[in-house]
Amino acid sequence: MTPVPSSKINPPNWWKQNRKAILPPIFGIGGFLLFWQLSSSLGLTKLEGPLSLWTDERTRELLLYPFFDNGGLDKGLFLHTMSSLSRVAIGYSLAAVIGIGIGIAVGLNKGLNRAFDPLFQFLRMVAPLAWVPIALVMFQQNQPAAIFVIFITSIWPILINTAEGVRQIPQDYRNVALVLQMSNRRFFTKILIPSTLPYIFTGLRISIGLAWLAIIAAEIVMPGTPGIGYFIWDANQNGYVSEIVLGVIWIGAIGLILDRLMAWLQTRIASGR
Amino acid sequence: MTTLVTVQDVAKDFRLDGGGHYLALKGIDLDIRKGEFISLIGHSGCGKSTLLNMIAGLDLPSGGTVLLEGETIKRPGPDKMVVFQNYSLLPWLTVRENIALAVDEVMPDLSKAEREAVVEDHITMVGLAHAAHKPPLQLSGGMRQRVAIARALAIKPKLLLLDEPFGALDALTRGNLQEKLMQICNENELTAVMVTHDVDEAVLLSDRIVMLTNGPGSKIGGILEVDIPRPRQRLEVVHHPSYYSLRSEIIYFLNRQKRVKQWQAKPHKVLARHGLEKVNLDLGFIPLVASAPLAVAEAKGFFTKHGLDAVQLVRETSWRGITDGLLDRTLDAALMPSGMPTWITAGGHGGDPTPIVTALTLSRNGNGITLARRLAEQGVSNVADYRDYLLRTNREPHTMGIVHPASMHNLLLRYWLASNAINPDRDVHLQTLPPAQMLADLKDGSIDGYCVGEPWNVRADREGHGFPIAGDLEIWSGHPGKVLGAREDWAMAYPNTHIALTKALLEACRYCANPAHRDELSELLSDRRYLGMKAELIRFGMESASEEIREASGHTLFFGAGVNRPSRSEHLWIISQLARWSEIPFPRNYVEILERVCAVGVYSTAARELGLDDVSYQRGGIELFDGVPFNAEDPIGYLNTLSIHQDFSVAEIPIGVPRALAS
Repeated sequence: MTPVPSSKINPPNWWKQNRKAILPPIFGIGGFLLFWQLSSSLGLTKLEGPLSLWTDERTRELLLYPFFDNGGLDKGLFLHTMSSLSRVAIGYSLAAVIGIGIGIAVGLNKGLNRAFDPLFQFLRMVAPLAWVPIALVMFQQNQPAAIFVIFITSIWPILINTAEGVRQIPQDYRNVALVLQMSNRRFFTKILIPSTLPYIFTGLRISIGLAWLAIIAAEIVMPGTPGIGYFIWDANQNGYVSEIVLGVIWIGAIGLILDRLMAWLQTRIASGR
Repeated sequence: MTTLVTVQDVAKDFRLDGGGHYLALKGIDLDIRKGEFISLIGHSGCGKSTLLNMIAGLDLPSGGTVLLEGETIKRPGPDKMVVFQNYSLLPWLTVRENIALAVDEVMPDLSKAEREAVVEDHITMVGLAHAAHKPPLQLSGGMRQRVAIARALAIKPKLLLLDEPFGALDALTRGNLQEKLMQICNENELTAVMVTHDVDEAVLLSDRIVMLTNGPGSKIGGILEVDIPRPRQRLEVVHHPSYYSLRSEIIYFLNRQKRVKQWQAKPHKVLARHGLEKVNLDLGFIPLVASAPLAVAEAKGFFTKHGLDAVQLVRETSWRGITDGLLDRTLDAALMPSGMPTWITAGGHGGDPTPIVTALTLSRNGNGITLARRLAEQGVSNVADYRDYLLRTNREPHTMGIVHPASMHNLLLRYWLASNAINPDRDVHLQTLPPAQMLADLKDGSIDGYCVGEPWNVRADREGHGFPIAGDLEIWSGHPGKVLGAREDWAMAYPNTHIALTKALLEACRYCANPAHRDELSELLSDRRYLGMKAELIRFGMESASEEIREASGHTLFFGAGVNRPSRSEHLWIISQLARWSEIPFPRNYVEILERVCAVGVYSTAARELGLDDVSYQRGGIELFDGVPFNAEDPIGYLNTLSIHQDFSVAEIPIGVPRALAS
């Protein structure tokens, strides 16, 4: 082993090694914020600049106190986010379990695939917002309807990727199973799942983004449920533009974190093999 | 040995996506004995992998059956384990887990500890103990293939099937793995079938090599027994006398397949022009000084002059290629040894007797017998010394090289040996070798000498590996050397073409015979299309450096009084000699055969039209150096007077009635 250079952080060196990774995003984001602030200061757009998040008292409060809970729907942003996330967690988990299950079945069986593939491709194209009225009619209640919207939006990439992964199991691996006369159960656990795992994770990663996107659609039209979507809807109703902007930023940040989380899981589980 | 696998009349027909069919294999019959190592070799697309898959049960035949120990193979199983070309290891498992997966699956009755022991044994056997915990992606190709072999062997299959196992490896790794596999197979007495396209690999590893012809409808084109004793070492097998003949046999087969494929790819419409029935001819030759008339006729435009404006010279590497080319009609006509027309007509090639005609003798003389330099060092300077030497060392094998059983080299060498009281079948062993191989064998001492045409005698002498002991001038001066040969049905279908061809070549012979053209000829023949060797090595006898060689190699005659006319009595002499050495039975209908083989009419017409009637007249009787006259009136009586001969038979050769090729 070559000696590892001192693991303690040596500021000048650390900066030298990492500045190429750090500086561009700072410039990029900073430039964007500057442009936004300038264009609203110069009156090019009615939208207030990013500084207003701080100057506006309502949003400053929200920024500083994410955990307050005054009962009812008057909560801090973190608590709104948590109830949205729990909804996403349920819908997404359902989508993962059912999507992987159906995906494997469809991938293994050409007939099933022919029968259902057009349907899947069709349903996949329906926007989350369009599912809301259908979901409300189906379930008559806000909570299950919201979960259903998340589920139905996020299932397709999982299902389609899983099916493709099963179809893509190399003939070599199948031949190994054939020659060894593996039982179906052993084939499933020893070959099918490990071989398909990278595809499944690709699907899962795409879906987490979609599930999070669907939360707005799910909550916006279902007033009276706490959540980040409701928060934005409420701010809109009251004309608090800065609050909307703040909500959007929260949503983006959470989405980014979820995606990174899945990416990390993907490298941990799927490609470490 | 008992049979393990029986392949009976197997065919495989693939349904294509477009709705058509592709017949990959047809009529495959093969018995694989227990403990045998079999290689399947052939060009890409010949269905060798398909055959392997059917033995593995991964694919089912569309006709016939494959039996393993008498039971039909219907599905794959661990008793016929496959080592796939791309290893087929599971990348998410380590080396140990990959092997364990197979062992756990196949040997559930063993205890866990016993199974682990089996896994560890096999990891050690392929020398991968240090890498057992690594996933396959961290290993080199050679190591991965070793894992695949270990996995296959760990489950103790009855039959090991290998699909181009070393195809993707570099030469060094491949060599090491071949030795490893050989060692494992020997130690475990495995039965194995391997698909390969590597000729050396096939010879090194196999007990038998199965050669498959081109698809569609591939068949077994031949099966070679590899008689090299085991255990074999990669670096030593090359010195075994069989090695090169096996190797060249396979290469010949593969080249032949390639040539047939190329020939089939071209359009073959008969082009009739200038009053000739066919002007597009494929003429076979092999690179020899005696092929000069063909080269000259091409280069000097004699073919075109006589209307044959689409002649193509096809260079074959062996006389066998010429024989096969004529038989499967990929050649129209060819340069051939003077014994070949009667030999093929009488079925000496092992197939159906096929009448061949010859209208022209292209060359005479030009051959010699060369012995190895090491014999001279042991005091051999003449044939009597050689006889003594053979007696003295009769425990050792003595091999002499000839180029073809039907060539004059074989007949003259045998005649010369027999007349000097050396039995060419008992005292020495005559082996058919390509001329270039003879020189190499002379060098490394595996043959005593050879009888061959130029430039191989000159070269052996110049390079110091051999010395001339007898030239053909002193055995039979003016003996026929090479002739023009064509199928009788071809000659009858294209009579005017045959005459034009004879005229073109006769004129070319006259050109070659002019001493003023000698240097030009050497230069011409040195071209890559013909001999492809240095011009100064291409000599015609007269200009040779030393007196000795001039004596030994004789003066190649291309043209002159009685040189070119096909002679019935000479061909009868050839028939009788071929029969004497049991190359063919003596034909009871020899008069008919001679009448049909010697196209004297074609020659006479050609000579008359060229105004060369004066050179066409017949020579005297045939008498060789020993003074025994050849009695053309009573050839069987003549044969019986000879003291050394094989037990020859006399038989009627069924050659049917002359029939033209249906166009």
